[in-house]
Amino acid sequence: MTKKPKVFLFVPYLLWLALFVIIPLFLILYQSFFDIHGQFTFGNIVEYFTSGTYLSMTLSSFFYAFLITLVTLVISYPAAYLLTRLKRKQLWMLLLILPTWINVLLKAYAFIGIFSQSGSVNDFLAFIGVGRQQILFTDASFLLVATYIEIPFMLLPIYNAIEEIHPSYVSASRDLGASQWETFRRVIFPLSLSGVRSGVQAVFIPSLSLFMLTRLIAGNRVITLGTAIEQHFLVTQNWGMGSTIGVVLIIIMVLIMLLTGERKKGAAK
Amino acid sequence: MMEKRSFKWANLYLVFVFLLLYAPIAYLIYYSFNAGGTMNSFTGFTWEHYQAVFEDTRLIRIALDTLKLALSSALAATIIGTFGAIGIYYVKKRRTRNTLLSFNNILLVSPDVIIGASLLILFTMVGFQLGFTSVFLAHIAFSIPIVVLMVLPRLQEMNDSMVTAARDLGANSFQVLSRIILPSITPGILAGYFMAFTYSLDDFAVTFFVTGGGFSTLSVEIYSRARQGVSLEINALSTILFLFALGLVVGYYFIQQGLEKNKRKRTAVKDPTNHEKAVSPR
Amino acid sequence: MAENTIIRFEDVSKRYDEMEVLKSVSFDIERGKFYTLLGPSGCGKTTILNLIAGFTDATNGDILIDGKKVNDVPPNKRKVNTVFQDYALFPHMNVFENIAFGLRIKKMNQKTIEQKVSEALRMMRLEGYANRDISEMSGGQRQRVAIARALVNEPDVLLLDEPLSALDLKLRTEMQYELRELQQRLGITFIFVTHDQEEALAMSDEIFVMKEGEIVQSGTPVDIYDEPINRYVADFIGESNIVEGTMVEDYRVAFGGKVFECVDGGMRPNERVEVVVRPEDLILTSPGRGNLVVKIDTQLFRGVHYEIIGYDEEGNEWMVHSTRRAIVGEQVGLSFEPQDIHVMRFDETEEEFDARIETYTEEGERV
Repeated sequence: MTKKPKVFLFVPYLLWLALFVIIPLFLILYQSFFDIHGQFTFGNIVEYFTSGTYLSMTLSSFFYAFLITLVTLVISYPAAYLLTRLKRKQLWMLLLILPTWINVLLKAYAFIGIFSQSGSVNDFLAFIGVGRQQILFTDASFLLVATYIEIPFMLLPIYNAIEEIHPSYVSASRDLGASQWETFRRVIFPLSLSGVRSGVQAVFIPSLSLFMLTRLIAGNRVITLGTAIEQHFLVTQNWGMGSTIGVVLIIIMVLIMLLTGERKKGAAK
Repeated sequence: MMEKRSFKWANLYLVFVFLLLYAPIAYLIYYSFNAGGTMNSFTGFTWEHYQAVFEDTRLIRIALDTLKLALSSALAATIIGTFGAIGIYYVKKRRTRNTLLSFNNILLVSPDVIIGASLLILFTMVGFQLGFTSVFLAHIAFSIPIVVLMVLPRLQEMNDSMVTAARDLGANSFQVLSRIILPSITPGILAGYFMAFTYSLDDFAVTFFVTGGGFSTLSVEIYSRARQGVSLEINALSTILFLFALGLVVGYYFIQQGLEKNKRKRTAVKDPTNHEKAVSPR
Repeated sequence: MAENTIIRFEDVSKRYDEMEVLKSVSFDIERGKFYTLLGPSGCGKTTILNLIAGFTDATNGDILIDGKKVNDVPPNKRKVNTVFQDYALFPHMNVFENIAFGLRIKKMNQKTIEQKVSEALRMMRLEGYANRDISEMSGGQRQRVAIARALVNEPDVLLLDEPLSALDLKLRTEMQYELRELQQRLGITFIFVTHDQEEALAMSDEIFVMKEGEIVQSGTPVDIYDEPINRYVADFIGESNIVEGTMVEDYRVAFGGKVFECVDGGMRPNERVEVVVRPEDLILTSPGRGNLVVKIDTQLFRGVHYEIIGYDEEGNEWMVHSTRRAIVGEQVGLSFEPQDIHVMRFDETEEEFDARIETYTEEGERV
């Protein structure tokens, strides 16, 4: 049939799906059943769930990711809402997400300077009489920098969700007697929740697996699941354990996707 | 009036967020001109760090490699992804299509660490030499899904009867593809290429996992240099990269605006009374 | 202000940037009547609705509701409710919550809300749909929900922005009856916006015909149909034959090469005018007995009648609606009565038109 050229062009994509998506996922699962000497074992999983180190690391990783997501949300939601009401909102939005185009490493590097013993923040603290503090390599600095990096990823989906709300809903709400605040609370906010959900997805999962910041900014004081994986793969060469943590991370990811996923109830239009 | 005052507060908050997001970048740029050699206490103006960047042949080579990698991997990803999107669009069964899409999105939501680790296992298992090629393949791999996501909506917007009409007028399927489908999804393809390009430029984690044999990208290089301590050469480099990104984004914005404007002009002709529905809630 | 007036526009104009969408419009809306703003898209009719509801500010002029100037009153403080063109039903609430929205804002207790909502549901024949999702409702049902949601707040005025345009023909006709009946039962003012002249004629007490931001003519459906003020109104409302002619003297007009008796007057002698004769007022007859003789050019069967087009000796086109068929190419006579002829002056405003009618109607009625 005449359809042949299209099918032929589709092949590279399917190959990509198989080679770089499906097989790697299985490989991680497969690898998690081998110990450091290449012997088949269930030891990694047993160790993960019995060792206090791994469990507490998972917990703290969760805790940090939760905090990062929460702070990001609190900062981003009002900003996104206010943005949608501006005249040149598209230009403003572009300016606000422009920093994401600057390499994460460079931004992290900037914070090393800002937070260092003799950096600007400490200069300021010294100036107001608080005195110089150790800021770099603390939990707080990690939180701050991670939040900073994730803000645009929360801002964008919320902004889009609010933008998508048809203006006639707002008119209808005002028409039915709701004040601006009531309109926000009863119409705009509930309708923007889909954006909040995507934002949470876009921030929480990466926050679980940050590893470069934990080293540069937190000086390895914070160990996330991502740091642990990187350590096992590239430092201790214990790929089995690294893969086990990877599998756990994938499962958590799937759970979060399901939890924050759009409820498809009556979505057919 | 009440509303006017709250609007001022709104702007103030936005300016605050804006400053917050730009502060570190401004900081980097400011100290790139510091003769003092550290990222604190500005002692005098100098271009010497920029000079150092251009004299650092290793850094220049890495920068060019990074650019080459981004341009070529984005191109490959765009080609594969565009045909992938067209393929997905033409899959008849809804279930199959949704399954394909879910698999497509796996790499988009996966943490970089997982992509990096799983590709590292893959390359090692098949005995692949880690180096430019492994990084190149990895970058193509994580860029394809974003291209698909950029192209697919354009396909859905496309008027299907256009394809039927072209067939009716005697076009074969290659002609339909090259003269009807590809031109009408060009904005999506451009957006896909742009996103793939920035993904590649921005990547650190995946490259960090699958690189080897002395091949390095800028982010990996900065990481290793940053761990050794502050060097204002990196500030100078950041400034150059920032200006590059700024130019890229602004350029892209205007291209998009231009396309949108053309589109709007066309729809405006169809319905000159759009303004009437411009209800502005206060 | 008349006691019965509920809404008054005093020289209200509205600009969006360079576009003047409303040009110094003044009118009164009386209590308990069904008004229709009729005109093509872009004529400013929706702007008037938005001004009444408070979604947009007037650039100039005053808007009064119940005698009080409301230019600065926000929409939530006006006793006016709107049925939106796309219904604007909140997608995150079910039917019950949509209707209850306004009552909840007013902080009514749950029991009153339930009672009022179920009453509204019953009135709109939506019993049993209270817990449905909006996405599960058909177009016609959504529209009923939208009306119920507005009416449950007991507004003084209900604004309807082309609410029937998304419905299919059969449902649309049904809703026309229903809306008219609803308005008469509730006795509140309806202001209905449409570009469909049939809808306007069928439902309204009063029609405002609009063009490019101005009200061209207002009046009852019968007035506007029988006595359109100019070619625009005549063309917009119903089918019409419009030919140029000369007003020889009062009650005598010349067109198609002959002079006819008519019921219009008050023009200058020998003034150039336009003459309207509705196609259904033309009767086919033999060439000898007709007032005019035309040659049949085309004929279409329209179901209720034949639509026949012919040309007279001056080349004017005449459309006839007839239950009898004609033969293409034949000469036929057209007969009509003096009161079937309506004469329009060029560039006459509504005030001038009204004033002229005042001067001669008493005399005209005797003829």
